[in-house]
This record gives sequence, structure tokens and C-alpha cells, in this order.
Amino acid sequence: MEMNDPLRRDEKKESSPDRHDSGPSGPESSRPGRDNLLKRMKKVDPKQTEKYKQRTGQ
Amino acid sequence: MKKRIFGIETEYGLLVKNDGDFSLDPMEIANRVKNHIFSKNLGVLDLHYRANDEPPGNGGFLLNGGRLYLDMGHLEYASPECSTLVDLVTYDRAGDTLVQEAVEELGWADHVSFIKNNVDLETNATFGCHENYLVSRGFPFDERDNLKLLSSFLTTRLIYCGAGRIGFCDPHPFRDRENITPDETQGDEVKFQISQRADHIPNEFYRWVQYNRAIVNTRDEPLSDPSKYRRIHLLVGDSTMSEFATAMKMGTTTLMLEIMQLGVAKKKWVLADSVQSMRSISRDQNFKWHVKLASGNSSTALELQWDIFNTCKQHLAGMNRETDWILESWESVLTDLPKGPEAVIGRVDWASKYWMLNEFRNEENLEWNDPWLKSLDLEYHNLNKETGLFWGLEANGEGYRKTTDEGVAFAKVNPPRGTRAQGRGELVKRLMNQNAHLRYLIDWIGFRLGKTDEPFLMLDPFISYKKEVVEYLDQFDSTPPREIKQGDGHAAGDSGDGGRVDGSRAGGGRGKKSYG
Repeated sequence: MEMNDPLRRDEKKESSPDRHDSGPSGPESSRPGRDNLLKRMKKVDPKQTEKYKQRTGQ
Repeated sequence: MKKRIFGIETEYGLLVKNDGDFSLDPMEIANRVKNHIFSKNLGVLDLHYRANDEPPGNGGFLLNGGRLYLDMGHLEYASPECSTLVDLVTYDRAGDTLVQEAVEELGWADHVSFIKNNVDLETNATFGCHENYLVSRGFPFDERDNLKLLSSFLTTRLIYCGAGRIGFCDPHPFRDRENITPDETQGDEVKFQISQRADHIPNEFYRWVQYNRAIVNTRDEPLSDPSKYRRIHLLVGDSTMSEFATAMKMGTTTLMLEIMQLGVAKKKWVLADSVQSMRSISRDQNFKWHVKLASGNSSTALELQWDIFNTCKQHLAGMNRETDWILESWESVLTDLPKGPEAVIGRVDWASKYWMLNEFRNEENLEWNDPWLKSLDLEYHNLNKETGLFWGLEANGEGYRKTTDEGVAFAKVNPPRGTRAQGRGELVKRLMNQNAHLRYLIDWIGFRLGKTDEPFLMLDPFISYKKEVVEYLDQFDSTPPREIKQGDGHAAGDSGDGGRVDGSRAGGGRGKKSYG
């Protein structure tokens, strides 16, 4: 199996270190594919978290 | 050591949507999913007790050299021993795929979801994703100052290894949060934090794996030749959906262990209070991640990670292709984190989840504590690619895959090369075919067949043992392949021989602990 290295994509080469800027800024809202993700999210049962009854493991 | 061996153990959560047409207990579902996988000739169920809570048929070893079993109410998959990060991520995904395919083949996909996360947001129950790293016996693990360095690294790696969660729970030493009352959940309101496990780690060092979990687990259970090796077994990490995140979690930790072995890790990295720092980093709503060092100086998790990265680069760059990939990826993610969650989507799970939840929250005008957002938090970790939110990212081309579908399909039924998992996989295959008549007892460190007293030991994880296993099995009579039926392992019953390959030595290899 070959290592598939996504970081070799050109667009990921643009960044440069900035050691003085700690912590991310606020999110942006114009991302491609955003609408598809929101559609997928809207289909999720709003109350499914109440059905998730887990026991403590390790 | 110049060569590496990794493994991951994953305890899955189980979300069941019972209605008029479907009404099964979660434990029954987990048991039937496990039995379904073994009924497909993908492995052999244990014929013996491994522990009081692991009776015959509770689990077994797979053709790929890994292990699937029920543990403390959870279905758990332990990857085989892997010698590369690509193998590790591939075999981790192979386990996820085996489980999800079983759900679909049983016709339960609309009712049953396996959730690869670490916390129940309603009850605050927690369950783990354990990492295993093989190091030499000479690794300076008994020196507390060295362990504090590892603790500092594990605490600050949260910024790119965390899977994120909504809300919080207040940790209590010496007891878990299952029975906590609302009055006890004091503290500042936390809308979102970057780690699933941080609230459940009350100690810096400890040997237990349930309750009083520690950042550095100190149990010495090598599952190999104890005179040569030690297994670093960590339970502090989150289950990661992103292949990049999984590779980074394991890869950067390996490099940290290697500079500790070289003696070039710096004392100045030690935190004043790792447990408190882990919680404050995870809960920081502004993602600034300030920490206090033992020296009295202030720093941030990001600055500490940059210093650790630079030290690793100075001493390890050029060692091999995998090391260089880790260094390049590490640098890229540290560079991009300050740009905001959107800059690391697909590579950092907490950031992917945070961005998605925040977009949805704004779209629907929801508060962070809305149950719908909690439900979406769970859905991020759903193994079902049709519905799970992480898979939506991957469908958008933002999954940053390190594996291929072909590689994962291969890994479901074949062991990785270069480790003893290869010999174990060969053994499992033979036990399902020409040696199907033999009774067996398999463990991570070896196996015993028939009525023989002498175990076949596989004490060196770097040796495949495949040729030796084949030669050993050739001593036994062959029989035509048997027809495996669902639940076959249960029918076989208990061999009554105790449950250890190496019966004369305690701690040799209880099944729950593994390289995976």
C-alpha cells in the first residue's frame, strides 16, 4: 500500500508558521460542500442523544 | 528502537432506535453483531475463559490478526500489531468496516448505529480508545521526571488530537461520573470543548484503566519478551474519525517517545499541573490554550508543541519516509491551527465538528445546549457512511485519507506484514480450514493447540513467525474444512485449560489488553 499523503497537495503548501498567533479565530461560513453537510445534519433525529445509553468502559 | 510497532483498541458506543418493529437490548445487539462477524469465517471464537468476564465465545481473534470481543458492555476491536502508520490506520478502518457491514447484513442499519466516540453526553459514561507503542525495555519509563515530559506532550497534543464534545462534566477522583447529581456539576459553563476524554482523566500517573484514569498509564504489561520490550499503553486519547488525525495522534506520540529515548527531551516542557492543564486546554472557549509550566513561566499548548516538534525535527528528520511524513504533517497542522477551525477541517476532528455544529447552530438559531446539537455531536462519530457526519466531510473530498478502499478490504481478511500478526493470521486461517478439528487457545503472545502442553510462543512482535507457524501446524493431522455456523464458538464450550497460553507466568497476556 502506498502512503497517500494529502498534505502534498499544492494548496497546503501556502501556509507559513506564525509562532506569535496562538489560538484560532472565529469560523467562516462560505465553505464549498457546506449546504450538503447541513442537509445531512438536518436529517439527524434531534433527540437521539437521549437514546444513547452507554456504560462506562475503560 | 529504529523499528516501530503500533496498535489501537476501540470501544464502540451503541445507539439503538427501538420501535414497534425493532426491540432488542444493546448487549444482545453487540453480541449478535460479534457472532455474525465470526459466522462469516472472519475469525475463530475463544474456546476458553480469558477472565471471569470473558467466557468462551465472548470474543476471538480475526483473520487479520486483530481481535473482536465484548468488554464491559461495549463491542471492542483491537487492531493487529502494525509496523507502519499506513497499516495502522488501514487496520483501524478495517475494524470499523467489519462492524458496520455486520449491522447492514443483519438488516439493522435503520435501527442500530455504532458510534466511535468516548462519552455519553447524557450520563457522562466514558469508554476508551487505547494506544499501544512498543519500546525497548531500556526506555526510561521508571523515572518520574521523564514521565512528566510525556505527560506534558500528551496534554498539549489535544489541540490537534481531540475529537471535541459539547458540554462538560466535573471530574471526581476515586469515582466516575455515572452517578453524579446536577448539584455536583459545578464550574463554568462550557459550551464546547476540544477533547472527549479530558474531563475523565483525574490523575497524571496511575496503573488502572477504569476509574482514576491517568494521562500516563503506568501498567507494565509488555505482551512480549519482558526482558527486551515494554508496551506503552495509553488511554488518554480520543477516538478519531479522521485518518489524518489518527496517524498524527500515533505518529507524533511515537516521535516524542523516540526523543525521550534519545535523552533530548527538554525539562522545561514539564507542566505545573498536567491534569488541570488538560482540562483548561480542552475547555478554553477562546482556543488560546494557556498553560503554566513547572518552571513558573507561562506558555501555550501551541508554543509547547512547536518546541517539541522542532526538537523532533532536529534529531529525527531523515530517519525514514514515515518520520518525515509525520514531521511535515505536524508542522502543517501547527501552522494552520491559529487560522481557525476551518483551516484544519478533515485533519483535526474537534475543529471539523466545531465548524459543522456552529454552522448548523447559526442556521437553525440554536443554543449550544440544545439536544439537537448533542445528537449531531454523536452523529459525527456514526460508522454508517450514509448518515454519519464525518463521512459527509469525506464525501466532500475533505477526509484526508491515508488509506484506500482496496487496502481496507484487504485488511479485513489479511494480517499486516512485518509483525507477529502475520503468524497469528495464518494460525486463524488454518484453524478454520485444514486444522479445523483442533482445539486451540490463542493469545497475543502465542498459542496452544490440541492437548499439547507446550505453547508456541511469539514473544517478539517484530517477527512474523508465519513460516514457523505453518511448519508447526503441519505436525498435526489435517481435516477437510469444516462448515462454520453462526455461534459455532459458543457450541464448542470451555476447554477448561485456564485461558493463558503462558500458564506458568502471570500477566502474560489477558485478552483485553493488546497491541491493538
